Amino acid sequence: MKDKMPPLSRRKFLKTSLAAAAISAGAGSPLVKSLVPRAHASGARPPGQITSHYTACDMCFNRCGMIARVQNGVITKIDPNPAFLKSRGMLCARGNAATKHIYDPDRLKYPLRRAGKRGEGKWERISWEEALDYTAEKLLEIGEKYTRCGVMFIPGSDMQSQFVNRFAEVFGSYNITSHETLCLLSKNRAYLDTIGEVPYPDVYYSKYIIVAGANPFEAFITPDTMDFFEARKNGCKIIVLDPRFTKTAAMADEWYQIKPGTDMAFFLALCHVIAKEELYEAEGCCPVNTYGFEEFFLHIRKYTPEWAEKECGIPAQDIARIAREIAAAAPAAMVYPGRRTSDYEDSTQIRRAMAITNALLNNFDKPGGLLAIREVGVKTPYYDVPWYDDNPFDRVEAGLVPGLIDHEGSFQLMREAIISGEPYPIKGWFNFKTNFMQTAANRNKTIEMIDHLEFIVNIDIAMTDTAWYSDVVLPGASFLERKDPVSALQGSSACACAVFRDPVVPEMFESRSPFWICKELSKRMGLADSFDFTIDEYRRQQVDGLEGAMEAMENMGVYYNPSKTYGIYAGSPLKTLTGVKEIFNQRYEASGVDPMPVYRRPKQPAENQFRLVVGRTAFFTHSNTNNELLTEFMEENTLNIHPEPATRMGLSDGDLVEVKSKAGQGRLRLEFTEGIEKQTVYTATGFGALSPEMSLVHNKGASISELLEDYHDEISGNMAMHETFVSIRKVA
Amino acid sequence: MNNKMIHRHDKGAIYIHWFNALCWIFLTLTGLGLISNEHINPVGAWWPDLMRGIFGSAETLINVHIYVGLFWAAVFLIYILVRFRDSLAFLKEVFTLSPARDAVWMVKRNIQLTLGNRAMKKMGMTTEIPPQGFYNAGQKIFAQLTVIAGLILVVTGIIMFISTIILDSPTPAAWSRTIHYLMAGLALAGLLVHIYMAAISRDERPAFKSMFSGAVPEDYARHHHELWYQEVKNKP
Amino acid sequence: MKKKYCMVIDSSVCIDCKGCMVSCKVQHKVPRGRWRNWIKHTEPDFTMGKHTFVHFQPGNCMQCDNPTCVYACPSGATYKDEETGIVHINEGLCIGCGNCVVACPYGARYRHPEKRVPDKCDFCRDRLDMGLLPACVDTCPTKARTFGDMNDPDSEVSRLLRDRETVRVVSKPVDTEPNLFYMAGVMPLDWPGPVEYPAAYRAMTGFVNPLVKIAVGLSGLGVAAMFLKQIFTSDETSEDDSREEV
Repeated sequence: MKDKMPPLSRRKFLKTSLAAAAISAGAGSPLVKSLVPRAHASGARPPGQITSHYTACDMCFNRCGMIARVQNGVITKIDPNPAFLKSRGMLCARGNAATKHIYDPDRLKYPLRRAGKRGEGKWERISWEEALDYTAEKLLEIGEKYTRCGVMFIPGSDMQSQFVNRFAEVFGSYNITSHETLCLLSKNRAYLDTIGEVPYPDVYYSKYIIVAGANPFEAFITPDTMDFFEARKNGCKIIVLDPRFTKTAAMADEWYQIKPGTDMAFFLALCHVIAKEELYEAEGCCPVNTYGFEEFFLHIRKYTPEWAEKECGIPAQDIARIAREIAAAAPAAMVYPGRRTSDYEDSTQIRRAMAITNALLNNFDKPGGLLAIREVGVKTPYYDVPWYDDNPFDRVEAGLVPGLIDHEGSFQLMREAIISGEPYPIKGWFNFKTNFMQTAANRNKTIEMIDHLEFIVNIDIAMTDTAWYSDVVLPGASFLERKDPVSALQGSSACACAVFRDPVVPEMFESRSPFWICKELSKRMGLADSFDFTIDEYRRQQVDGLEGAMEAMENMGVYYNPSKTYGIYAGSPLKTLTGVKEIFNQRYEASGVDPMPVYRRPKQPAENQFRLVVGRTAFFTHSNTNNELLTEFMEENTLNIHPEPATRMGLSDGDLVEVKSKAGQGRLRLEFTEGIEKQTVYTATGFGALSPEMSLVHNKGASISELLEDYHDEISGNMAMHETFVSIRKVA
Repeated sequence: MNNKMIHRHDKGAIYIHWFNALCWIFLTLTGLGLISNEHINPVGAWWPDLMRGIFGSAETLINVHIYVGLFWAAVFLIYILVRFRDSLAFLKEVFTLSPARDAVWMVKRNIQLTLGNRAMKKMGMTTEIPPQGFYNAGQKIFAQLTVIAGLILVVTGIIMFISTIILDSPTPAAWSRTIHYLMAGLALAGLLVHIYMAAISRDERPAFKSMFSGAVPEDYARHHHELWYQEVKNKP
Repeated sequence: MKKKYCMVIDSSVCIDCKGCMVSCKVQHKVPRGRWRNWIKHTEPDFTMGKHTFVHFQPGNCMQCDNPTCVYACPSGATYKDEETGIVHINEGLCIGCGNCVVACPYGARYRHPEKRVPDKCDFCRDRLDMGLLPACVDTCPTKARTFGDMNDPDSEVSRLLRDRETVRVVSKPVDTEPNLFYMAGVMPLDWPGPVEYPAAYRAMTGFVNPLVKIAVGLSGLGVAAMFLKQIFTSDETSEDDSREEV
């Protein structure tokens, strides 16, 4: 009785009849025009067929499977790929907002060359030919003057980053570093030095999880974020330690407002109880499959729950109870390793304490515990790296910390080296899709580093702050426009899989993929042989020997390797020095580092000072905030503060304050919340952009990179972002 | 018997009358079909269902209603502009009421038509009806109603029409609909009487006929519109 | 068989990630500042210490069985599709009077600033026609939302409604009989507002409609009386008539 789909809407009727009237009235009288609003008058094209295209998300690093819906050549909607196990068939707010990533009014359209001073914003449009010639010439010139290692390469964390990496290596620089050196390297270091590899948490099958220094319900990790809820349905208990009442805390079974930087005290006390009460599994775990358990037993004698309570503020009886509960649930229990661990100067040691707790739980390579790396079978095609005689012996920051991770290094230490010119000069910067100006602590120091550089080339989709300070800006194609090589992913116990991307729509404007750019540059630099292939050829080499992989990726958007999930080691030795879990690390001892984590009380802010901690929401990734669909949830960042100290200082909710550290200052509005430790303040990343072409976040809030002082983890050189104390003053 | 005819309406007036009549009936019927709400439905859900069925869909119905309404208003506007003096004279005629004569006419004529002369006499009234001009008081009041209602219907109709095109506030459309409905309803109440008097009542048969021929018998004119008859007679 | 679509929502797994809100916004080109769906939440009570919590509650138009928005629409432009149970808006019939926007106690409707007609969740009718789930359901990371036909006993929603204790978030004092079911324990429950009908609508139903009925009725009675008199008393015609009739 009611029409399911009105055949002709009044508006359409009106439009056509008014259009007819306009024509008969001798075209476009103002009256008629005023009667037909622009929104109705335009877009009269008949709806075309909707086509669906598999691809993988690039709005953060998780690479969730997605299906792009295209109508009339435009991506109108992006849905999750239900067959994509790693992301559990979901797509978060950011993935959904990818339509505004590709159709961003702030997108770079053509190559630009700096015409004024750096950061002044004067650009001249140049052709690709000129941009590539000029870039090749400058890179060769620097290579000539300062050796090939005189160029720093930041390949980004992208499915095409491997090409930038290859380009860096054939160009001859080993000064390659990454965004990850601001992120998770200290965690990686800790697990590498305890179990010999970086494990994946098997959240899905876990029965007891302690989340400390992580916020997985806001900072999505797939499939972990979703698996927490599946695990909980099956009776898993979730304990969260956080100075902030994050959404993870808000939904935990128990939340403890731990004093910032004292996590190690909690975990040492946890180990104390487990060891003292012999809650560990004596046969399969300690001491047989560990190294240094006896030393550890003595080491943690002083770390009692009562002692820990004084340090971290968590009641001793809760610590003891949690120890008993988690040990009872072991091995399907874990301390969640987390991801961004760039917090304290001893962050590797903090994570070592967590990794050792996991070792005592004997959960490695077992269901509900920590998983070993599974086989996906995607290969990295071989290439020759030429030898440059004049190159220095090692990367520029080598030896500055004992646990620098190969091929990653430390951006922060490299920045110091560039400024000092020691041990050798770096004068060029090749950057792809990494925005250190917004993400790395102490922006003023990054600007100082830039002052020491002779040439900066930047490939990105928009004029980020880093691009704004570059010399040549090349418009990158978005992930939805690109043909990408195969990427191997592990989704916990859910899957070991491989994906690639085919262009959903053609490259917009004059944007180009990094692969094309590297290929073109290599031709101009006598390195053409290194890029003498197509993406299709490259892919075939990648999945060579993987039967059905190509077809699966084409037909389903993903290939699953049914490789072994648990018991991969099956009695064979771990990739550690001793072949077993190293509670006591001999390499550390040899380097003069504590071989077992030693608790040192974190330095404390003075009165009326606050420790600044940073983090992110579920709808932003780092500095990728300039998206109309996402800023709607947060137009600028605020400073979260506990009302008690704020009121004492005469501050009110909503006040505009100047936040000042030794590194810089910025203005933020206060947001009162009791959900934060009293001498801690918090703000979100991604705001206060310097580049006016980041139109939604320019002059909005303050940038964490401006406020944070630059500290680093003493072992891995990973950035330490929670060591900054700020003072707050109300702006009149 | 006097069969002499007197000219009463010219062609233009006749055409506009019948155009008006058709539009008015059509718009009333379609407009009634646009109300579909179990808490309001004036005649039940069957009518809007029927109308929407006839026109294929509710959207077609509303569009037809809108465009016929606009066409009706436009034709009237042109008519008024073209025959400006006549229109003014018409307005003057229908808006000039003589309280004593017209009030008495209204009371007596109503009683006469419903209850009859005898009843009137029983009530102690004479059957003498006050003499009337070109229009009798009833016709004048109905004309006034249609002029005012018509104007308001056009204005409120246009407000509803442009509501989704240019109006940022929903309130004008909401009130327009209430008023539009009120005016159409009142006009319909008058229209029923008008149609009866003109088309069904034997009394006014000559007037009905004159809406085709343009002329009325002299007798009719003398009895029904005595003042006008005198005026015509006295004209040189 | 007629369908009756509904959503069963396990709000205890909602993490307020905004995925459903962006997915919906993109699917339906909802303008900035307006939403077809939402995530409500409780305020944390920090005196609860380690058990302090926030409960998030995703929602959207509840496609009520007692739809006050439909009652507020005089033309039937807003109607409940009897084939699906979805409350729709026929934009072609709507004059943008805004009655339904205020009549919804859940704030599920907004007036589209360019189209100037109300807009709200329609369970993604177009996607259903394509064989896809509603955008919010499809994208939800923790699968808090389950969508389906409650008239189909084998559907997931029917199973959940059978096996699990569910409640509805209902406005007071009018129970609009929503078709959004939440797993028991959902919070907050006190947020729906009153059902309001604008003055113009109240004037129409309370005053104009009876007045018109009375006026037309009286007029009709008068005409009927005249007609009857004309039929039954044809002898007692006026002098004019007798003279005229030849």
